[in-house]
Amino acid sequence: MNKKKVFELAKGFRGRAKNCIRIARERVEKALQYSYRDRRNKKRDMRSLWIMRINAGTRQYGVNYGNFIHGLTKENIQLNRKVLSEISMHEPYSFKALVDVSRTAFPGNKAAVPPKKQGLAMLV
Amino acid sequence: MAMACVTSSSSLFSTKPLSSSLNKTPFLGFSLAVSSTPSVQSNRAFKICCQDKAALIPSGQQWMFDDLTGPDVWNKTWYPKAADHVNTDKPWYVVDATDKILGRLASTIAIHIRGKNLATYTPSVDMGAFVIVVNADKIAVSGKKRTQKLYRRHSGRPGGMTVETFEQLQKRIPERIVEHAVRGMLPKGALGRALFNHLKVYTGPDHPHVAQKPSELPIRDKRITKQK
Repeated sequence: MNKKKVFELAKGFRGRAKNCIRIARERVEKALQYSYRDRRNKKRDMRSLWIMRINAGTRQYGVNYGNFIHGLTKENIQLNRKVLSEISMHEPYSFKALVDVSRTAFPGNKAAVPPKKQGLAMLV
Repeated sequence: MAMACVTSSSSLFSTKPLSSSLNKTPFLGFSLAVSSTPSVQSNRAFKICCQDKAALIPSGQQWMFDDLTGPDVWNKTWYPKAADHVNTDKPWYVVDATDKILGRLASTIAIHIRGKNLATYTPSVDMGAFVIVVNADKIAVSGKKRTQKLYRRHSGRPGGMTVETFEQLQKRIPERIVEHAVRGMLPKGALGRALFNHLKVYTGPDHPHVAQKPSELPIRDKRITKQK
C-alpha cells in the first residue's frame, strides 16, 4: 500500500516506526498480522475471562466451575458463559438460585470414595 | 472490469423498487446512512450515545429496563472503570500466621490479593484486597523443612550465591519468609509488583493499620493449621 496509508495506520507507534517509511511499513505489516490473529484470539480470551469470573462467583458458594456447569447441563439450562458471568456480577440473587439448581442436580464427587492410601501397613 | 461490475450491479438494483436508491452506491448493497432507522423489524432499537450499536431489547421487555440512554451493559462484558478499583475502597483483611502451614496460607493470601475470589475478577486490573499478616515469625512448615528448606539469592557476581535455611532466615528477617512465599504466587510483572505492595507482614501480634478496620481473612482450606 502507499506511504500515506502506511503512516495513517502507524499512528501511535513508538519511535521511528511512526515517522520513517522503511520501519513503519514493517511495523504496520506486523500490526496487521497481529490484528488478524487477535480477532480470533479475542473470542478465546473473552471466554476464558467469563469462565474465570463464573469460577470465582460459584466458589463463594462452595461449588467449583466444573461441577456447576455439569449441574447446569444436567438440568438443560443453556445459558452461555457470557451471560452467566454477567449474572454473577450484577444479579447476585439470581446467580445464587442458579448455583442451588446446579447443586441439587449434581452435588459433587463426594459420593465417590477416595482411594485409601496404604502406608507401611501393606507390608504387614 | 470495474466498469462491467458497475453496470451489472446497477442493473441489479434498478429491479428493486423498495430500496432507497438515493443513498445506495453501485458497489455496496446497503444504504450508507447509519443514523437512519435500523433494519431490525421485531426489536425496537434505541440509539445509545457514544456507541454505534444500540441495545436490542424486544418491545415486550422494555418495561423492565429504565435506563435505555446509557451504555449497553447487557450485551457487553463488564470491564472495570477507574472508579471500580480505587485503593481507598478496597477491603482489608488480617490473618494470624501462628501455626499455619506456610504454602497453604500464602496461597489463600495470594488469591485474595489478586482478587480471584471476586466475581468481578479482571486479570489486567488490580481488583484485590489488602492483607495484613501478623505473628509471621510463628509460621509453621511440615516435615523437616525447618532445617532443610533453602532460601537462595544471588548478587549477580560470580560466587555471589548465598544459601540460607528456613531457620536461619527466620532468625534474621522473619517477614521475608511469608513475603517470599506470597511473591512466588503472585503474577510476575508490573501488576504483580503493584499487588505485592498490598501485602503487609509483621512479626509481632499487632499492626499499625487499625484505622483501616481489617476483618478476618476467610480461609476455606481445612488443612492450613499445623496438626501437633
